[in-house]
Amino acid sequence: METRRIRNFSIIAHVDHGKSTLADRLLEVTHTVEDRKMRQQLLDHLELERERGITIKLVPVRMNYRGRDGVDYILNLIDTPGHVDFTYEVSRSLAASEGAVLVVDAAQGVEAQTVANAYLAVDQGLEIIPVINKIDLPSAQPEVAKRELEEVIGIDASEAILASAKEGRGIDEILEAIVAIVPPPAGTEAEPLQALIFDSVYDNYRGVICYIRVVNGSMRTGQTVTFMATGLSYQVEEIGVFRPQMVPIEELGAGEVGYLIANIKTLTEAHVGDTVTETRHPAAGPLPGYRKVKPVVFCGFYPIEREDYTQLREALEKLQLNDSAIFFEPETSTALGFGFRCGFLGLLHMDVAKERLQREFDVDLVATAPNVVYHVLLTDGEVEEIHSPAELPEITRIEEIREPIIRITVFVPSDFVGKSMQLCQDRRGTFVSMDYITPERVRLVYDLPLAEFIIDFHDRLKSATRGYASLDYEQRGFQAADLVKVDVLINEEPVDAFSFICHRDAAFYRGQAVVRKLKELIPRQLFEVPIQAAVGKRVIVRQNVKPLRKDVLAKCYGGDITRKRKLLEKQKEGKKRMKQIGRVSVPQEAFLAFLDVDSDGD
Amino acid sequence: MAIEEERLPFFGPSGPPLYLYVHVPFCRSKCPYCAFYSVVPGTGAVEAYLDGLEAEISLRLREGAPFPSLSSVYFGGGTPSLLSPSQWERLFSLLEVFCLRPGAEVTVEANPESLTASHLCLWRERGVTRVSLGVQSLDDEELRILGRSHDSRRARDALGALAASGLSFSADLIFNIPGQTLRRWHRTVREILAFGMDHLSLYELTLEERSAWGRRPPEGMASGYPFYRWSQWYLASRGFFQYEVASFAFNRRWSRHNLAYWNRAPVLGLGPGAWGFLAERRYGNENSLAGYLRKTEEGRLPLAVVEEPDQERDWREAAILALRTAWGISRSLFARRYGPVPLETLLTVIDGLPERFFRKTEDRIALSRRGMAVANAIWERIL
Repeated sequence: METRRIRNFSIIAHVDHGKSTLADRLLEVTHTVEDRKMRQQLLDHLELERERGITIKLVPVRMNYRGRDGVDYILNLIDTPGHVDFTYEVSRSLAASEGAVLVVDAAQGVEAQTVANAYLAVDQGLEIIPVINKIDLPSAQPEVAKRELEEVIGIDASEAILASAKEGRGIDEILEAIVAIVPPPAGTEAEPLQALIFDSVYDNYRGVICYIRVVNGSMRTGQTVTFMATGLSYQVEEIGVFRPQMVPIEELGAGEVGYLIANIKTLTEAHVGDTVTETRHPAAGPLPGYRKVKPVVFCGFYPIEREDYTQLREALEKLQLNDSAIFFEPETSTALGFGFRCGFLGLLHMDVAKERLQREFDVDLVATAPNVVYHVLLTDGEVEEIHSPAELPEITRIEEIREPIIRITVFVPSDFVGKSMQLCQDRRGTFVSMDYITPERVRLVYDLPLAEFIIDFHDRLKSATRGYASLDYEQRGFQAADLVKVDVLINEEPVDAFSFICHRDAAFYRGQAVVRKLKELIPRQLFEVPIQAAVGKRVIVRQNVKPLRKDVLAKCYGGDITRKRKLLEKQKEGKKRMKQIGRVSVPQEAFLAFLDVDSDGD
Repeated sequence: MAIEEERLPFFGPSGPPLYLYVHVPFCRSKCPYCAFYSVVPGTGAVEAYLDGLEAEISLRLREGAPFPSLSSVYFGGGTPSLLSPSQWERLFSLLEVFCLRPGAEVTVEANPESLTASHLCLWRERGVTRVSLGVQSLDDEELRILGRSHDSRRARDALGALAASGLSFSADLIFNIPGQTLRRWHRTVREILAFGMDHLSLYELTLEERSAWGRRPPEGMASGYPFYRWSQWYLASRGFFQYEVASFAFNRRWSRHNLAYWNRAPVLGLGPGAWGFLAERRYGNENSLAGYLRKTEEGRLPLAVVEEPDQERDWREAAILALRTAWGISRSLFARRYGPVPLETLLTVIDGLPERFFRKTEDRIALSRRGMAVANAIWERIL
């Protein structure tokens, strides 16, 4: 296929603006998928994605399209995730495309991620095709949405396509616009091979599968290729395209998008962003890569049964094969035993990983409350990076603690500005700017400690604005703050898994909330159990779990002995699902207790 | 559990004392909290049951009688008093193959609605020493909730008749009935003591999985703890000795038969749904009357379950059972019967628990009153 008949494009949108439905419609109209095989949101292929209605992994699909000019085109659609946690995946998709379809909900208008994703696309030099979606809705205001596109993002929306992916309206226009506006790939087959790895996944049967975009030259089965970052060479076993299932083909030419299988054992060999070249005629240099993403949110994963440690490690390794953004290292907790400290790009990312471990790998685990990464400046001038409160050095050695700061952009109806600002202030936010993008809508920008953001900020914002606010954030580096470590003691013993770092002013309040929550969750034991929160040696909160007073006395004659024993055994089995800390049985929910301590209110 | 062998070894005449349990599986109606096996008897059911019992006894006899003499006999149920005096005559005659030791304890369970003067007269004549009456409560509202087929007046009549009979007698009471208050519980206990029984068994209302309430629990149940702690205090002040978690005896009149269970002594259980313990093996008979009769008619022992000895399980069970009683565990006897290693393991567990739940002497470890109130949690640790 000649490169001038290829179009590579992405679809970008704020979450829920109809991106996946539009993608489904495109596949249908181009007969890429037969109608009877069509399921809703075909591209969201992880079970979890369909359940949550969001896209996490990006998926490329190849479509054949005969344009109105009678020419047959190949359209490669590279789907993108919609959640802020996965912004890095968006930028990878965009790097493999020449154009982007920017979808805006006709009823909701431009939202925070619309802007963020649009700017990412503009940065990459992509052509943008604005689409106003959901015009079938009674509340649709396409003219307002267009004006917002022009005023907020600053792109020409006069040609914006009005569409309803749900009803199939405007789909042909979008396909035509892709052919007309998105430029064909620039590379040529005459040049030595240069292919960008924009994603890679691990398949249990096939090993590593690289998603590639050939920029120059061409790739064939049997060819020997070199990965430029690692210098390792492989023989190409199979190449192919996504329709959307993998279909092998003989050759991938310049500008084409597809996959590569080459007996690659681990994902560490196949860096996303690496350039593949031909071993015999190597390219002069690699293509521009990606910046490596660093996890910012950490939590501990511990197996419920100690003997399942190996199983958890293997599951994490496999998960990492599929999601290289996950970081993990072994960690030992006096309370929970052997486990792993894991790093994620955000809370949703963490949640998804935890659910996938439980669902796909069948691992029972306890997850500790998440924390952010901290930079600790020591008195000797060294800077230490810590991933958990337990790693915090002794107070005497600390000069200052720096925490990650994010800049959040909130789009909110003007009625809710006050509440939104109050929430940001409460979370130690620093005001940056506020402007009216229309008389009814406001853009608020705040700098906020990430630690404050990961404690249900998003949920709070949603409820404070009745779901109308949308937000996006970017990282802004580290900043010193007056932070303290709060220890939680159960039965006089500090439980490392419950320690947390927070601002000194919030220590009492947070300590109280955690202690109160634990008191609710820890069942009565044979003795009184004090639960305390302490900063250093100073106890700031104390509550007691009263000793057990409720018990069952039943008859126990003759045959009852066997039955009674079985009842006791059952009772004991139930307790096994609790973690034993010293002499105290603590249910697993307790470890997540302070994920939602704030939402209890009082 | 599969039954590999239908015969169970028996003791010779010189063996250790034997205790006999006879299960009478009939009730006038089924109480919603009860999980014991019983049915409302149809025509001819009691006669068929007595035929089965006769067959079971002769099967046992063929295994190498004579039986050792009995230290106690216990007629439990169900409702043994539901059998008519003439049916009782036949039951007693079936048991004539057994000898009683001098001073043996013979107990019959009875319910107020079916207990008559002629029952008492016959029982005393045939050597019954003790009657255990299922009173449960002296509050009509509570009796209605429990679904009992007697009211408080009937219960008082039966208690009066027992007091007049000169037999030793005990009453069963249930606490933590939905809607019950400590005050109402106090009224029942105080009033019942006035009848002069020498034994009381107190049970917390338990929602058994196999009972009607287990499937659909009633509303308004509080914690049973205050009822229990109050009873421990009150009964002690009235001279009752708590010799087991649920049992209180006046003047050392504890139930020797029940102690046999808690000491894991040999018990021969007869009748449908009866359990026995012979040669360190616990066995359970067929639960349904039909299944029981089918096997006995075919000349087979009506066994449904036999638990083979299992050293680990057995010593833990023995410890739990012994801890039910006021005498507790004797370190020396325990070590002799189950070995020194189990004793060590057991002591380690006990030492890890709060002191105030135990009474410890040179040789014995027993639960304190407080310990009895949280006994389940302690046993769970031992298991």
